[in-house]
Formats: sequence, C-alpha cells, structure tokens
Amino acid sequence: MFWQQVINGLTAGTTYALVALGYTLVFGVLEIINLAHAEIFMIGAFIGLVLVTETGAPLWLALIGAMIGTGLVGWMLERLALRPLRKNNVSHLAPLISTIGVSIFLTNVVLKIFGPQSNRFPSNIDPRIFDLGVIKVSLLQIVILATSFALMFLMKFMLAKTRIGKELRAVAENPEAAGLMGVNVTFIMVLTVAIASALGGAAGVLVGLQFSAISPTMGVAYGLKGLAIIIVGGMGNVTGAMAGGLLLGAAEVLSIAYIGSSYRDAIAFIMLIAVLLIKPSGIFGELESRKG
Amino acid sequence: MGEILNPYYLQIVSFLAINAILALSFYLPFSAGQLSLGNAGFMSIGAYTAGILSLKLGAPIFISIVSGSVMAALVGILLGFPVLRLKGVYLAIATLGFGEVVRVLFLNLEITNGALGLPGIPNLNNYFRGVYSSFGVKEGLAGLDMGQVAALSTVALSFLVLGFCIMFVLRQEKSPVGRAMAAIKADEVATEVMGINTTYVKMLAFVQGAFLAGLGGALSAHMTNFISPGEFGYHHAIDILLFVVLGGSEVVWGGVLGASIITIMPEALRFVDDFRWIIFGALLVTMMVFRPQGLIDEHVLSWRPFKKKSTLESDAVNEVLHREVGN
Amino acid sequence: MLLEMKKVIKNFGGVMAVNQVDLTLNEGEILGLIGPNGAGKTTLFNLVSGLLPLTSGEILLNNTSLSNMKPYQITELGLARTFQNIRLFGHLSTKQNIMVAQFCRTKASVWGAFFRNKNYKEEEKKISERADQLLQLMELEKYSDSKAGSLPYGYQRRLEIARALATQPRLLLLDEPAAGMNDVETESLLKLIRRIRDDGVSIFLIEHDMNLVMNLCNRVTVLNFGQKIADGTSQEVQNNPKVTEAYLGKEEDDIA
Repeated sequence: MFWQQVINGLTAGTTYALVALGYTLVFGVLEIINLAHAEIFMIGAFIGLVLVTETGAPLWLALIGAMIGTGLVGWMLERLALRPLRKNNVSHLAPLISTIGVSIFLTNVVLKIFGPQSNRFPSNIDPRIFDLGVIKVSLLQIVILATSFALMFLMKFMLAKTRIGKELRAVAENPEAAGLMGVNVTFIMVLTVAIASALGGAAGVLVGLQFSAISPTMGVAYGLKGLAIIIVGGMGNVTGAMAGGLLLGAAEVLSIAYIGSSYRDAIAFIMLIAVLLIKPSGIFGELESRKG
Repeated sequence: MGEILNPYYLQIVSFLAINAILALSFYLPFSAGQLSLGNAGFMSIGAYTAGILSLKLGAPIFISIVSGSVMAALVGILLGFPVLRLKGVYLAIATLGFGEVVRVLFLNLEITNGALGLPGIPNLNNYFRGVYSSFGVKEGLAGLDMGQVAALSTVALSFLVLGFCIMFVLRQEKSPVGRAMAAIKADEVATEVMGINTTYVKMLAFVQGAFLAGLGGALSAHMTNFISPGEFGYHHAIDILLFVVLGGSEVVWGGVLGASIITIMPEALRFVDDFRWIIFGALLVTMMVFRPQGLIDEHVLSWRPFKKKSTLESDAVNEVLHREVGN
Repeated sequence: MLLEMKKVIKNFGGVMAVNQVDLTLNEGEILGLIGPNGAGKTTLFNLVSGLLPLTSGEILLNNTSLSNMKPYQITELGLARTFQNIRLFGHLSTKQNIMVAQFCRTKASVWGAFFRNKNYKEEEKKISERADQLLQLMELEKYSDSKAGSLPYGYQRRLEIARALATQPRLLLLDEPAAGMNDVETESLLKLIRRIRDDGVSIFLIEHDMNLVMNLCNRVTVLNFGQKIADGTSQEVQNNPKVTEAYLGKEEDDIA
C-alpha cells in the first residue's frame, strides 16, 4: 500500500518538478519570479489538446508541439515583458508585476477562446496496468514518469556538459562577468525563459493526460505549489526543484492516504513554512547573494 | 438622480472604499520594505471572525468588526515572528503560502461551514434601516427611499473608516515611526546601525497591515451577507497588489486611486466585456515598462506629473561603489 | 577606557579575518586604524558595531560587554559608525536622514503621531531643530530638502557623518571618511573631525590617507592579515619597520 502511494506520488511529483524547474531556471538566471509560468503551463496543455483533437497528432508529437509552442510564448514574454524593464534599471517589483500582467493576459485569452469549462483531454494510451506484485503501475503512469525523467535528465545533462549549459550557469552566477568573458547574456536569458516555458508546457500536457481534463484555470494551483517547491528545494537550485517536486508529490499522496484528502492543497505550504523556519535557503540551497 | 443612487451602484461604491482599505493594508508593510501578500488571508480571518460573531453569537455589528480586525492583527503577530526574517521574494511567497493555508483551513473547519460558506451575515444596510426606524424614519428621507438611504449610510460609514485609515497612515509616514519604516525600506542594515530596532518596526508595519486587511474583510462580510473561503485566495491577494502597483506604489494615495480604478473598471468597461481583462493584462505590462512607479508618484502630487523619474540616486550610488577601496 | 577589545578573533570558516586583536581606545582620543587592503579593518568595525558575531574574545564599551548585543542596542549604548561605501537612505531627504537617526534618542509613539498631541509636537520640534544644528555643523543646509542620493559625493560623505552624529554617540567609528576626497576636502574633513572630538565624541578612524592619519590621530593601531603588528603614537608607528614592511613588502621582493 505504502509503495503504491509512493509510485502515485512520484507520478504527480514529476509534473510538479517540471513546473518548479521552470521557475527555478528563470529565477537563477534572470533573478525574477515569472508569475506567468503557471499560465504557460496551462497553454502547453491547450496546445497539446488542439494538436491531438484538431490534427489527430500522436501524443509524442503533441508533446513536442506543445513544448515548441510554449517555448515561443516564453521567448515573446522575455522580449516584450522582461527585456524592456532591464534597460530601465527598475526595482525587483516591476518585472514581477509585468509577469502578472502577462499571466492575466494569457488566462483571459484562453478563456475567450475556449471558455471556462473543463475540456476533455483525450488519451490514446492503452489503459494497461502492470501488476508488479507490491505495486501496480499503469502504462499512463509509466509514460508520464518516463517523459518527465527524460526531460529532467536532458536538463541536467545540458547544464553540466554542454557549452550552452555552462554559459547558462555562468550567467546565473554573475551576468556581468559572464558577459565580459564573451557570453551573449541576452541570448542566454531568452533561451532560459524559452526552455523553462517549454518544460512548463510539457508538464501541462502530462497533467492533461494524467487527469484527462484541462481548464484555463488549471495553472493556479500548480503555480502556487511550484513557488512553494522552489523555496523548499532552494531558489535557483535545479536539483532542489526536482527533488522538491518529487517530495511534494509523495507528501501529498501520503497525506491523502493517512490524513485525509481535504488538506492536500495545504501540504505544499506547510512544507514551505517549515523550511522557512528551519533552513530558509532551502534543502539544497545556499544563502549566497549574487555578485555583480 | 434616484436611478443612479440605487443600492447596486451604492454597494459598488462601498466596495471601492473597502478595496482602498485593502490597498492600504498592502501599502503599509510595503513602505517598510516588505512585500507581504498575505492580506487575502488576513482579510479572510477578519471576515470569518466578524461573520461568525455576528451570525452565530449575535454580537453587535461594530463589536464583530472590531474583533475581526483585532483577530487578524493577532495572527499577524504570530505569523510575523517567523516570517519577518525573510527578505524580498521569500517573504512574498511565504505570505502567499499563509493565505493558502488559511483558505484550506477554513474549507475544512466546521465552524466556518467549509465550502458552503456563511450565508445570512447581518447586513449593514439593514442595521442602518433599524437605526433610522428607531428615530421614526421609515418611509424615506429627502426624496430617497429607505433602501437608498440605508445604502448611502453604509457608503458613508465605509468612507469614514477609510478616511481614518488614510489619515492614520499619512500621519504615521511623517512621524519618527514612518521615517524609520522608509529607512528600513531603503537600507535595513544601515537603519539598524542607526539605532533602530528594525524587527520591532517591521513587525509594527506588518501587524498594522494585517489589522487593516482584517478590517476590510470584516466590513465587507457585513455588506455581502455571504462569505466563502474561495473569495480570499491567490487572486484576491494579487488584486490587492495590483491596486497599489497600478495606482502608485510610492505614495499612500496611489493605492486609493488604484483601488478605485480597478473596482469601477469592470462596471465601466462592461461594453468591452470579454476583452477587458485581456486589455488590463497588456496595460499592466505597458505600465511597468513606461511608468513602473504607478500612476501617482510624489511628482504628480506636487503638480509635476511628467518629471522624469530621477536616476540621480542610482548614479550617485554607482559612483560611490566604484570608488570603494577594498579592505 | 572607552572601548576595549580583548583577544578578539573572527574566523570565517577557516579564514582568520581578525586574529587575537587587543585594542584600547580612551575617552577623548582619536585612534587610527591602518593597514594594507584586506588587513581586517572593516571586519573589526563590523565586529564592534555588532554586524558580525565574534568567534571569540570580548569587546567592551564603557565596561559593558557588547557580545550578544544587536547593532541597534550597541548604538543605543553610544556607539555610531559610518560606512566605507556610503549607505545613505537615498530617496529620503538629507534632513530626513538625520532625523531618522535620532529615533533611539526620542520617544516615538504610534498614537502620538495620529493624535498629534502636545508631547508629539514638541518631540518633532526637537528632532527638527537638532537636525538643523547638525546640518549647519556639516555645512549641508542648502541640501536640506534634497534627496540624499542626489548629493555630490563629498556632501554625501558629510551626511554619513552627520547621520551617525545624530545618534548622540560617545564613540564614532569612521570608515575611510576621506576616500575619494581631494586635498581641500580632506583638510576640511580634518578640521571637522577635530571639532567633533572637541565636542566630546571619541573617534576610531580607518583611513588610507597617511597625512590625515598622522595629523589627526593621537595613537595608531596597525593591522596586517588580521593581526595587530604595531601600536603607538603616529611618530612611533611611522618609524616602525614592521609597518613599512607590511605596506611595501620586504625590500628583496621588489627586485623585478
């Protein structure tokens, strides 16, 4: 029973992790909390829906399409709502508000096009279940877990081994120094937002698959929990976001099983407050202020 | 005249006052450098405390309202201790989280009636009707019917309360405590070194903010007659933030203006119904690009609305930083 | 003895920023603290003013131990400081900067501000007048209502000092007050510091400008790599070979 819950929790947790990863990447490199990330996640789900229902595309293609779509949205966000603010040397509040503006804009565009109701997300995945004795895993869960872990692995690999990844980490640590060493800081920043958004979009499709339904307001709950996760894991810390997401998934499922489902949504924030009291820099974080 | 002064519009005007009070509840901690997004949670506490007292214990309305506000302030003190150690975005997220915890908690407690909410909270309009009635005024006053008179009285009350709150904040800003708050916002460490117990001053700002949010909640509970946990969630916290950011985050009147605009806007823009929020979102982004301090700033208040926002400070500080000699 | 430091150590995870420093400062003195870059001078100031906790050792102000005290409590006891990199309240006015610093010496009340009773008005008047006095002393009157961040550099440095003085200290820590100043400004500063001392405030001064240090200070303490290497009158310290060595390095190493 326990391990079954753990598997269920991990499945939910991987999508949390992808969302949190998006927040943490943008925060690490641009020092901004992108409050439109939750809506980008939602748009990914809708793009996926349209691709599957209108063009009959197979799931894997819809996923890629959603990621490209949301990547583009992220690119536009950086270009139109974030970059102009950097030029003006404003306080940290202005970019935050700007992303809130984008989030309002995006939510209402989708509301206008699709209406407020829940839309069915069709899944052409075989509803097979694998009985492994102690636990039962459905093909759907395997697809979600595999996709998420693959994306997370790709991220880790990119950050650690590729030149772009190194440049990204350099900008995250000190944009001025990175610029002086020949890194195209602006490009890296745009790329970061695009990648983060693509991850969010992927998560949107996966969540749509998981619950078979999506709605224009599905981003809010995930968004808030994503914020809690990045603090729990450590702001700007990639491992922290991933681990935090998985941890939250497991904690929620276990809390439903042993405490009752009504407090599930508060688990993330109870974890948040606990971390803030005990180790504010997060489980994997260091309290280091950025130089430069 | 009589058509405009119908209870529906008058209620909107009352809400304008409530929203302005909520704007103040965000502005106060913000003026001490704290980005506190917990006002929705405090509002909820104020609303439910007051609502439960009025509804289930039959307490007089004004006692309930005051109690609701005080309760919110008390929770503010409790929350303040752990949370005020945090800076910037951490504080914002933590207080947002607090709001969520309150929402989920109230969804599950028996005394709050969970998701069904609390209907039938005594209404201020009816209260005023009763007052007028006891003075023998039952059919109307000055050409207006009792409905309008009662609604107008509620409006008057809300603005009276708002007036006191504004006056309080304005006077505090010009006082030593207010200056200490502004100093903390500018440089908390330097402020502490100048002999100010920054923890105490930050707590003061935070708790005052909580009180004001609770007051707003308690008052509005007695205007809408019905409250539910969902009203006081993330969206509301963001709305309150927007009042201040849109109207002007550097001056007290900014929040009041922002609250007015955002309260009236949905009504005024009914003709562009579907697109009003889309437009609003785009507008917000544009504002941050061109006028991040919001509509009103101190230059507007002194009749020089288009004076360019001074970059002198950042220049001066940058200059000094480049002269810094290492040690 | 106004200020006493006994075997003060500050260890940053293996880096000994301050290593067993003993130091005394007497009332009415101007004590200089010099040493090459990285010697630990500002760290010492941060320890004294309570911004950093001691790893071990003791610091006493007027025989009261400062360990476990928060910075504002130390300021209440009578210690004030300026910052090397100027930390003014930029968007407050010059006068407001000075007024804020009087907080610990006045009775601030939340309800007094609302009701504007007689006590409150009198306190505000006192605060304003004292601020005006300091503005005059530091020749800042013409900038009284300008935003602190918009002041010319030299005047910002003066405001730093004025603000610290507003806390009515017995001991004033000045961290490189002459940085970036030309000769004329430095001469002005010298006179100002003397005047402050004459008004009853003892001074602890970090400076790189040797002229200023030698002319101004009764005694000088020299730090290098966190350790005290010399201590005495300006004459004694000037002639101390260890001090020259610390600044210039050993003669042999200069051969290119």
